[in-house]
Amino acid sequence: MDFDPSTDRIVGTARVPNERKQNKPPVPVKIIVAGGFGVGKTTTVGAISEISPLTTEAEMTMESVGVDDPGPDSAKTTTTIAMDFGCVTIDHTLKLYLFGTPGQARFAFMWDDLIRGALGALVVVDTNRIDDCYPAVDYFERAGLPFVVGINTFNGQLGYSLDEVRWALAVRDEVPVLSFDARFRGSVRDALLVVLDQALDRAIKMRSS
Amino acid sequence: MTPPAGSDEPGRPATPGVRPFLHRSGAAAYRPQPPAGPDDQVPDGHISGLRPFVITSGRVDGVDPDIGMETQVTVHPDARPARLPPEQRAIVALCIEPHSVAEISALLKLHLGVARILVSDLRACGQLDVHVLDSEFPDPETIMRVIRGLRSIN
Ligand SMILES: Nc1nc2c(ncn2[C@@H]2O[C@H](COP(=O)(O)OP(=O)(O)OP(=O)(O)O)[C@@H](O)[C@H]2O)c(=O)[nH]1
Ligand SMILES: [Mg+2]
Repeated sequence: MDFDPSTDRIVGTARVPNERKQNKPPVPVKIIVAGGFGVGKTTTVGAISEISPLTTEAEMTMESVGVDDPGPDSAKTTTTIAMDFGCVTIDHTLKLYLFGTPGQARFAFMWDDLIRGALGALVVVDTNRIDDCYPAVDYFERAGLPFVVGINTFNGQLGYSLDEVRWALAVRDEVPVLSFDARFRGSVRDALLVVLDQALDRAIKMRSS
Repeated sequence: MTPPAGSDEPGRPATPGVRPFLHRSGAAAYRPQPPAGPDDQVPDGHISGLRPFVITSGRVDGVDPDIGMETQVTVHPDARPARLPPEQRAIVALCIEPHSVAEISALLKLHLGVARILVSDLRACGQLDVHVLDSEFPDPETIMRVIRGLRSIN
């Protein structure tokens, strides 16, 4: 990095006010892309992002759930997970971030930090392994975050009908269940627009109450 | 996998295909938890999981919870980064252009938690501006702008 901190590039010249104005950052908004391992989260983020997805390591609390009922004293552990993200610049004052985050059947992840201020979530589902999305669905439901179930069609094949998936997930009627192709920008865009619709509904309700 | 009739009835028998959470009485056991407080922290040097936090001198707490992954960070106009340690100086240099905390973490290969702590510290000592939003919840107008912006993508 060829930044020389000893020079006055940042401070105290006549150009500063102008530079400071340009330096005003966009308002960031974010959507979470969640789902089991290998369901197409990174592909989804990469299809719409203007940068190729970046990866960061983050701490996440998780506890095992599912088959062997952990009971009330189930152990929580902290684990480091890789999270990838991308972004879409709406204009110079507004930037959408997409955070792809793993979940796995048998583990409930604590996404509290991640969902703070999020517009909503897209839960990516592979119909061959529907169970893998349960933790994400459970979590967003309880956290009251608007979410949409997006079945990644891989090769255009839907293993089950949307109704069958909706039944297996037993989500509220208001939760959209749709299919999309994680590889195609237009398809990802349309899925995200459905998430945004849900987010808008919630924002309008929150304002009027 | 066939949806049974009247699948919304309460008290229907547990069906293997259905999301297990719905059948668990202990559901409350894994409500969202508040972030771990200082009491939950492991003593210094005990656990290899804390290794990334060596750069922060073992600190893992005291970060402003309003600093999110997407929070934008810029260099403070009066920043004097010359004497900062390398990681901190690299953050200040990167933030000549606005960057999110997640981008700082990814581009400088810092664990996200470490990046947050360093950003928080650098704000406290006047090197960085951290642009925390007034409200956690985006307003309808902002969401409408995102919708219009996305629609124009093809
Ligand atoms: N044919 C096809 N392949 C896909 C599709 N979506 C993802 N893949 C492939 O499936 C694999 C996994 O996709 P990723 O996007 O890496 O999935 P992920 O959810 O990020 O995976 P992890 O981060 O490992 O949990 C990759 O090899 C993708 O190329 C799809 O719609 N069709
Ligand atoms: Mg991935």
